[in-house]
Amino acid sequence: MKSPVNIKGSKSSIGFCLVVTLDSNLEYSKLLEEIKEKFTKSSDFFGDVSAALSFHGRNLTDEEKFEIVGIISECTDLNIVCVTEDDPEVEKKMTQALSDNLNRIEAEAEAKKINSGRFYKGTLRNGQMIDFDTSVIVLGDVNGGAQVVSKGSVVVLGNLNGQVFAGAGGNSHAFVAALNMNPTQIRICDTIARSPDNKHANKKSSQPQIAYCENGNIYIENINRESLRDIQLD
Amino acid sequence: MGEVIVVTSGKGGVGKTTTTANIGTGLAKLGKSVVLIDTDIGLRNLDVVMGLENRIVYNLVDVIEGNCRINQALIKDKRTPNLYLLPSAQTKDKNAVSPEQMKKLAEQLKDDFDYIIMDCPAGIEQGFKNAIAGATRALIVTTPEMSAVRDADRIIGLLEAAEMPQTDLIVNRIRPDMVKKEEMLSSEDVVEVLHINLIGVVPDDENIVISTNKGEPLVGSNTMSGRAFMNISRRIIGEDVPWLDLFEKNGFFSKFFSKFKKKD
Repeated sequence: MKSPVNIKGSKSSIGFCLVVTLDSNLEYSKLLEEIKEKFTKSSDFFGDVSAALSFHGRNLTDEEKFEIVGIISECTDLNIVCVTEDDPEVEKKMTQALSDNLNRIEAEAEAKKINSGRFYKGTLRNGQMIDFDTSVIVLGDVNGGAQVVSKGSVVVLGNLNGQVFAGAGGNSHAFVAALNMNPTQIRICDTIARSPDNKHANKKSSQPQIAYCENGNIYIENINRESLRDIQLD
Repeated sequence: MGEVIVVTSGKGGVGKTTTTANIGTGLAKLGKSVVLIDTDIGLRNLDVVMGLENRIVYNLVDVIEGNCRINQALIKDKRTPNLYLLPSAQTKDKNAVSPEQMKKLAEQLKDDFDYIIMDCPAGIEQGFKNAIAGATRALIVTTPEMSAVRDADRIIGLLEAAEMPQTDLIVNRIRPDMVKKEEMLSSEDVVEVLHINLIGVVPDDENIVISTNKGEPLVGSNTMSGRAFMNISRRIIGEDVPWLDLFEKNGFFSKFFSKFKKKD
């Protein structure tokens, strides 16, 4: 004969959940006894985890639910966090709210990552490449043929002669700064700028410069109070 | 215990073989025992530059494969004592040798010679890996052209990754007059990009063409490039040598005039 009380563990979007299927025809007082017996037996198995409960197979009033939860907490060490509804509409809304929340937290973490940075010490030579999720500060030169890729911004404390791709994840506020800005190519987000073709006219800039993206163009200018003020970090 | 030096550049035609021949001969003239190894299997020419092509019986691949003893394959130089050449094979390709075998060969030669100099082929493939395998020091040869400097940069990156203990730079074929007019990169410009120790600057010199064709390295002769190569050899053995004045002319009158010019 099928047991009148069935317990099934499941992972839901809100954590560990116990799905309790109850016999709909059994007398209520008998059912309580069955529940008590079943949960006492499996008390060791559950331990003291936190779990949500959800009832299936029988329409219960709020009082009945309350009573059953009482029995379960009495005969096990389970920490019942909540009783979830069996209503798909409610379930859907809850899942939606939860995933929205998760997305927001992830986006915040991502933004934090872009604005946090890491150092790379050494000169990047022809054929070498670094690729970071965070912003990068290169302590050395980026030589011709080398490449720096970052989801955030890139600062080169040295000569920048290679290629830089800032805001690689789609952040158009990312910037590129260098003590000596002479790159073959700069990409910020989805905008690409290359060095002018008449290289001889392109004299070495003795000034530290910054490159940023505005209205689909990349601008390079000397670093001063104004250019620093215009930097947006989010 | 000998030192194993690899002469490399990445780009072809910048003067690796000429540099190897001249520095090797220079070191031998300074009283060191030297063996030059041509690792460019399939495209050998160090023997031609050294003027020893007609004496080749066994080669590098024969030694590696055990067809002969090392001493049988070493060719003694005709002019300089203590200088030997281990020529490359012409009929095999680079895969005939592995880095481990080259390392073992270098270890064996270390006992008998002060300097083992590897002439590296152009490129960054198997031949390059073979040549650098046993070396503890690298000489990077480059010319003052952007393409050569780029390739040198790549090579330095690869040597850093391979944990080469020491890398020095030689800028070859400088033309002082062009540098002065800012039509050519200066050795300072090259060092600015590569950031490694400069051990020598060799001027562009037509005497090199003559010497290469004759098969007689000109190191130590009274030409500008001959003096430059001798200075490099002396720096390699640890001497502190002042830099050559590349603008200096050889004739009496030009010396006289240059002195005269300096005054105004």
